[in-house]
Amino acid sequence: MSKVAKDKPTLAQQMQQLDDTLAWFEQPNIDIDEAYKKYEQGIALAESIQEQLTAMQNKVTILRQKFDQDA
Amino acid sequence: MADPVFRVSELLAVLNQTLEYAYPSVTVEGEIASYKISKGKYVFFDIKDEQGVVPCFMMVYSLRQPLEDGMMVRLTGQPRVTAWGKFSITVRQVAPIGEGSLKRSFDVLHAALLKEGLFNAERKRTLPVMPKAIGLITSAESAGYADFIKILNHRFGGVDVQVANVHVQGAHAAPQIINALQYFNQQDSPPDIIVIIRGGGSAEDLAVFNDEPLVRAVAASRAPTVVGVGHETDTSLCDLAADVRAATPSNAAQIVVPDRHAFIAHTAQSQKSLYNYITAHIADVNKIASQARVRMATDLQAAIAAYGNRLMSARRLLAQCDPKAALQRGYALVQTVSGKSVTTAADTKPGDMLTITLARAILNVEVRYVKSSKR
Repeated sequence: MSKVAKDKPTLAQQMQQLDDTLAWFEQPNIDIDEAYKKYEQGIALAESIQEQLTAMQNKVTILRQKFDQDA
Repeated sequence: MADPVFRVSELLAVLNQTLEYAYPSVTVEGEIASYKISKGKYVFFDIKDEQGVVPCFMMVYSLRQPLEDGMMVRLTGQPRVTAWGKFSITVRQVAPIGEGSLKRSFDVLHAALLKEGLFNAERKRTLPVMPKAIGLITSAESAGYADFIKILNHRFGGVDVQVANVHVQGAHAAPQIINALQYFNQQDSPPDIIVIIRGGGSAEDLAVFNDEPLVRAVAASRAPTVVGVGHETDTSLCDLAADVRAATPSNAAQIVVPDRHAFIAHTAQSQKSLYNYITAHIADVNKIASQARVRMATDLQAAIAAYGNRLMSARRLLAQCDPKAALQRGYALVQTVSGKSVTTAADTKPGDMLTITLARAILNVEVRYVKSSKR
């Protein structure tokens, strides 16, 4: 929350982009060339998302401090 | 040697010194009687069993759970003799014991906090779907912790988990958990979710999570809280004060992060949908193109046929106009020697030489007479 927003979209944003691409195909009268571009972008995005999801790891740190002052 | 002679206050001082030396702290179990709070600050009660009674005293801020006459409690404190010669225990901590007493204490506090609105649904915040930072408060040696981490790691990644290692039962637990909550909430960047977990245990073990200052600290947390204590059926006041209650530590891990496998399946499904969309569109375009081709072919054929017909008609017409055809039919072409056609009587006179072209011969003839015929 305090980190400066990076240019690379977050995983949540990428997944939203993929949903938006799918929604684009629902509109009537789409141009076939545009459709093919969107298709390729969508497939690549989906693959990238899957790779990220598979590779993601958590970082677990046990804090050194003691919490035993009287509260 | 003669017995020492004390003044009264000296006797009391000596007795108290002896007590302090021999029993600096005692832990006693018994039943509460004559419980009262004076001036909102001073708590007085007796602790007793079938054969004895000891008066107790404490300050109200040391009370962490409500007490009532008839409750069984375990207390720790310092025995002393007061200036009025009364034996008393100055209580440092006291907690109900036994399921009956624990339940009564729970009920009293529950009713009070419910009335205050601490458990209201409107206070509950929604958790972020993909947290980046989690503050975990638990005992790092416990099975509950191990289960939580294992399920968290399996389900999702990219989370920075800070673990506050605390007691989760006994007298030190509640203050430590409160300190850990404060620690996380006071960070420059508090975690997206604070999780408090402990595994199953006895009613007394779990009573920590009915500790009033702790329950209030959970309710007051800046960061959203998830509390997962005990088993499915255990509900503590901390559970009720939290933003989300987890049935168990494992359930807490399921609540705080999504399942990456479900997301992966969803993206695979999206790829299938994209493929279906594009092939449907290609099929559409193909269909339109082939329909156009068929139309073009039909139109072209029709046009060619039409021209063909016209050509044939023109040829026939032309053929009819071909002078050779007339000759074949027996007609003759009559011309003067200069090549001019003879069609009327005026075109020639007797004695002229004419050329007659037949189908397969040419005659050179002299005119004998000319007679006009009107048709």
